[in-house]
Amino acid sequence: MRDADEQWPSDAELLRRHVAGDDQAFGELFCRHRDRLWAVALRTICDPEEAADALQDAMVSAFRRAADFRGESAVTTWLHRIVVNAALDRLRRRATRPAPSAGDEQAFEALAGSAGDPAHTTDIRLDVDAALRILPPQQRAALVVVDMLGFSVADAAVILGISPGTVKSRCARARARLLPHVSHLRGNRSASESVSPAQGGDT
Amino acid sequence: MRGQTTHPDTDVLAEFHAGLATGRRGAMIAAHLAGCDRCSALRDELAGVSALLAAVPAQAMPDRAAQRLDTALAAEVARRIDSKRARGDSPRHRGTAGRPARNRGWRLVSVRVLAPAAAVVLAAAGYGLSQLPHRSGNLASPSSGVARAAKSAGSADAPALTPSSGVAARAEPERMSPASFPFWTSHTNFLPGTLKQQVEAALRVAESAGATQAAPAAVKACVRHVAGSANPLMVESARYQGQAATIIVMRASKGEVALVAGAGCSASHGKPLVTTTVP
Repeated sequence: MRDADEQWPSDAELLRRHVAGDDQAFGELFCRHRDRLWAVALRTICDPEEAADALQDAMVSAFRRAADFRGESAVTTWLHRIVVNAALDRLRRRATRPAPSAGDEQAFEALAGSAGDPAHTTDIRLDVDAALRILPPQQRAALVVVDMLGFSVADAAVILGISPGTVKSRCARARARLLPHVSHLRGNRSASESVSPAQGGDT
Repeated sequence: MRGQTTHPDTDVLAEFHAGLATGRRGAMIAAHLAGCDRCSALRDELAGVSALLAAVPAQAMPDRAAQRLDTALAAEVARRIDSKRARGDSPRHRGTAGRPARNRGWRLVSVRVLAPAAAVVLAAAGYGLSQLPHRSGNLASPSSGVARAAKSAGSADAPALTPSSGVAARAEPERMSPASFPFWTSHTNFLPGTLKQQVEAALRVAESAGATQAAPAAVKACVRHVAGSANPLMVESARYQGQAATIIVMRASKGEVALVAGAGCSASHGKPLVTTTVP
């Protein structure tokens, strides 16, 4: 089944072909990961239009800078890093503008597309998306990369350009901050209710 | 109980849970947790946040965004070709067997132009499983015959086996473009030694019988993850070595290739376990 490797080249091979002048390799590579890259952009930015802008910035940047890829990390890690950077750049640039209001959710949902999702899954997703908006962008990016996309702390550190310890602390703070906003989404309602009142003493 | 009056706050517990509180401080928190139901419940809640986030399904890229990327990518490719021409280089097109690549009108992201041949992907489908247990492929399955896909749900977006992968399946606007492929369920048990032949047979059956069931969301997610965004020729829910599996067949320029993805295939996880070409 050796010939199949030729038919299904690795990410690194596609990137190599792209650098060598193959005009289709980059499209194939990006396509392979487009939904995850979209997810990280969308969830970091919380706005589909801006997420599409960021993803486009990132794609063009990756296309042009492919020769800089040295293979210290996986190609996917490298791609995610470029996308996260583009997303955080966009957020910095619009920092003076107000965050999108909750009223945008219908447009958001229309753009994000929920075809095929059971209704309750969509509800949970919308609730989680809304909760994520309360986080500072850096914390949100860390949480998205680690908890939602499942990258290891080490890979997340490369993607976010921070130390593993900082990844952990950003994720920890983000989870703590998110907790009161998402505990109702978990089956165990009584546990959250018994805990929440006591939290008032800490703040 | 000692320490009960000074509960660590949520941030501290979250840091502890993330492995950040070590040494004496960590030991004190651990000791407190051992004796405090309230705080250990809170710690469990924090762990539950990660679990909840991990369970939220990924959203596919909307067509509108994919089309924008296509346009941008086509422009980049054209730009590069032009600059190479200006330098007098002749562009190389590996993998396209000498067929000149066009530099306009590509849809590389929303509809992948596959350089290689049709691809068949076998994705183990026990979506909740973390690994594929190796029970040997003895299957008491009475028939490896294929369910006829009698129900034709949503035939509108089952574009059937069109000859070219370069054409976008006409998905409804605002829906994820990749959602359309012929899908069916069978009891076939694909085995390593006979994979090529079985895939060929499945293709023949699919072409004659038509595969027009609606694919479950989990199958779609897996297809997208493993196969990128090409529209498969056929997707079949079956088994591989006795375990639930999804077979994904894609067309390209020459031949076909089969890939077997690992268990737990989802929108974000699962690599092909095995690949094979199909003549």
